[in-house]
Amino acid sequence: MSLSATQPGVGRSVLVGGAATDGAGSATHSGPTDWATLRRFSERHYEPSWLRDLRSAWWQRYQDTPLPSGQEEEWRRTPLADLPRNAELLLDAPATELDHDADLAARGVIFTDLRTAVREHPELVRAHLGIGEPVESHAAFWALSLAAWTAGTFLYVPRGVEVDGTLIARLVTDRADVAFVPHTIVAAEPGASVTVLEELVSADGAAGWFGGTVEIHAQEGSRIRYARLQRLGDGVWNIGAQRVVVGTDAEVTTLNAEVGSRVTKVGLDVQMTGRGGVSRVLGLLAAGGDQHIDINSVQELVGSHTTSDLLYLAALYDRAHAAFYGRIVVRPGAKQTSSYQECRNLLLSPGAGAEPIPVLEIETNDILRCGHGATAGAIDPVQLFYAQSRGLDADEAERMIVRGFFEQVVGQISSETIKALVLDALARRIGSSTAFDEADEADAA
Amino acid sequence: MTDELVVSGLEVSIGTKKILRGVDLAVKQGEVHALMGPNGSGKTSLAYTLMGHPDYRVDAGSITWKGENLLGLAPDKRARLGVFLAFQYPSAIPGVTVASFLRNIYNAVHAPKPAPGGGENGQVPKYTGIPLAKFRRMLEEQMALLKMDPGFAARYVNDGFSGGEKKRLEMLQMAILGPRLAILDETDSGLDIDALRTVAEGINATLSPQMGVLLITHYQRMLNYVKPHFVHVLMGGRIVMSGGEELSHQLEANGYEWVREQVGEPEGVADEAPEPVAEHA
Ligand SMILES: Nc1ncnc2c1ncn2[C@@H]1O[C@H](COP(=O)(O)OP(=O)(O)O)[C@@H](O)[C@H]1O
Ligand SMILES: [Mg+2]
Repeated sequence: MSLSATQPGVGRSVLVGGAATDGAGSATHSGPTDWATLRRFSERHYEPSWLRDLRSAWWQRYQDTPLPSGQEEEWRRTPLADLPRNAELLLDAPATELDHDADLAARGVIFTDLRTAVREHPELVRAHLGIGEPVESHAAFWALSLAAWTAGTFLYVPRGVEVDGTLIARLVTDRADVAFVPHTIVAAEPGASVTVLEELVSADGAAGWFGGTVEIHAQEGSRIRYARLQRLGDGVWNIGAQRVVVGTDAEVTTLNAEVGSRVTKVGLDVQMTGRGGVSRVLGLLAAGGDQHIDINSVQELVGSHTTSDLLYLAALYDRAHAAFYGRIVVRPGAKQTSSYQECRNLLLSPGAGAEPIPVLEIETNDILRCGHGATAGAIDPVQLFYAQSRGLDADEAERMIVRGFFEQVVGQISSETIKALVLDALARRIGSSTAFDEADEADAA
Repeated sequence: MTDELVVSGLEVSIGTKKILRGVDLAVKQGEVHALMGPNGSGKTSLAYTLMGHPDYRVDAGSITWKGENLLGLAPDKRARLGVFLAFQYPSAIPGVTVASFLRNIYNAVHAPKPAPGGGENGQVPKYTGIPLAKFRRMLEEQMALLKMDPGFAARYVNDGFSGGEKKRLEMLQMAILGPRLAILDETDSGLDIDALRTVAEGINATLSPQMGVLLITHYQRMLNYVKPHFVHVLMGGRIVMSGGEELSHQLEANGYEWVREQVGEPEGVADEAPEPVAEHA
């Protein structure tokens, strides 16, 4: 996608100013809000003019970007016909609930609600908000979120600061019948290190639209472990996007645990820009009923000597369906890189289905590795019989096998806090196996 | 002494294929019965049927255990009654460590969860199962007996195990569960001579006057270590010959052709070798 003068982009110079154009181009799609509403929102919150201009430019971008037609390779499996597109934008959004240790601020770490961050650290927010192009598969939704966010999380770790423990940000709303497009920024300066969990919770029942977006900026030699635990209500369309930029020798692990929602359609864009960067892109999906989950990932290797490994595991019950369209793009300059994409699906009922589709685009010969693996299948009946023959009833045997299946990702979660919260959320779908109660007890002993 | 396991007139098929055509067998506690027979004669099918594999349909006959009908009981119920099957081809359970698996199955068999709503004052007591320290001691002891490296406990169940490691883990599970009837399906195959001795010692250590054993084997050599009281030959879906230990030597010397000559070709189809299943080295 190319930059044009009316689009926000990498350089701030391409931005158009606020009042003159004011985002008031003819609307190409009706949506959950309009520019007048957003401008009033911005004014009421005394947002700085640069932010209003930024919102305006992204609003224009949203207007100029068609919604997916369903013909695109990325969107074929998730028709948007039933997207509750007239749900009203949640203006009166909840602030992020934060859980952390008080002396973060003394070390220069900023961990706060995004609106608070705009008031207290405008320059830092400005330096990290809406950097770069939209996540391509989700361009319209990305633009909408950057124009219309009313809540979000801001985490900034200064140069060389290593944050111990796990930071937790919770975005909880008791509303579901709304459009809610919060934005999250995680930025680590050179040599910084941090672990953070973001938990998203909304009410069951009504149809709603959640379009949360995430930007992760890992500068040289930094380490970020970011987990997102999605526990949205059972009527929610979750159409979010995440962009991860991994700088030189930086290391980023992301984990998306998708538990809630009616439809989840998430775009992940991992940019390996700096030499020697490492990313692990992990996912745990547990779905049942008529849930539909569709993930589009792009691992783009630009810098040499970079490593990017993606591993998504899905346990699908009832009539749940998971699609996974994942691309690895190895650019000509990405010499001596290693990249992999693995997607495994456990089908726990005859009605469940999975469609993993890997795409490799390799533009240099000088790579160490680039590959993919995809599986989808039921539990081997012999495996079930084996476990049952040892005295485990059929349900416990299945729970144990599913929980064991997830261990390939769970075992990579270094934060015990995150592990416990994620497993607790997954247990609502997969149950909890006594084999693992004991393992936890053993760990604690 | 009462008969512990009584199989009579057992006919079993899988899909439309008839596999067992009237098996009679009785195993009392304290007895070791060796079951031999050519490939494809139905030994594993008998073992699976005894354990309650859902694909093996019982068309006729009965299986009783201490006078109780086993047919219709799920495999886990049979396990809790004291029946154990060491698999010819044990399954891997990735992500589940040997230690947590063993403790889970120990608790399932010996310390099942109290039914919900039970407990005093309507409260459900917190379930803990066997205390961890106690379990660990038991595990360490049994692993030493089977000459297993302590690191084994942290590996995933049968995941990437060699054939010999799998068989040892079967014996470890048997030792931990302490069954009353052990069905060992070719536990000796795929073992080198040292491993065979270790596994046999493990079996002998678990043997007790309260336990009955059905030892399925191809080779007489296993019986040098674990002495059978009875030897049976399964052929064409029936036990066509039974005897004492000497029968295993006769089989070793003369092969199954000799059995066929003795008893005449069993009616029905001749045994066919099953598809070869690669045993992971
Ligand atoms: N799941 C199955 N489906 C179809 N045929 C089977 C199945 N399991 C076993 N058989 C057949 O049943 C017969 C007996 O097999 P098995 O019990 O494994 O013999 P053994 O253990 O004595 O070698 C063989 O002909 C085999 O091919
Ligand atoms: Mg067999």
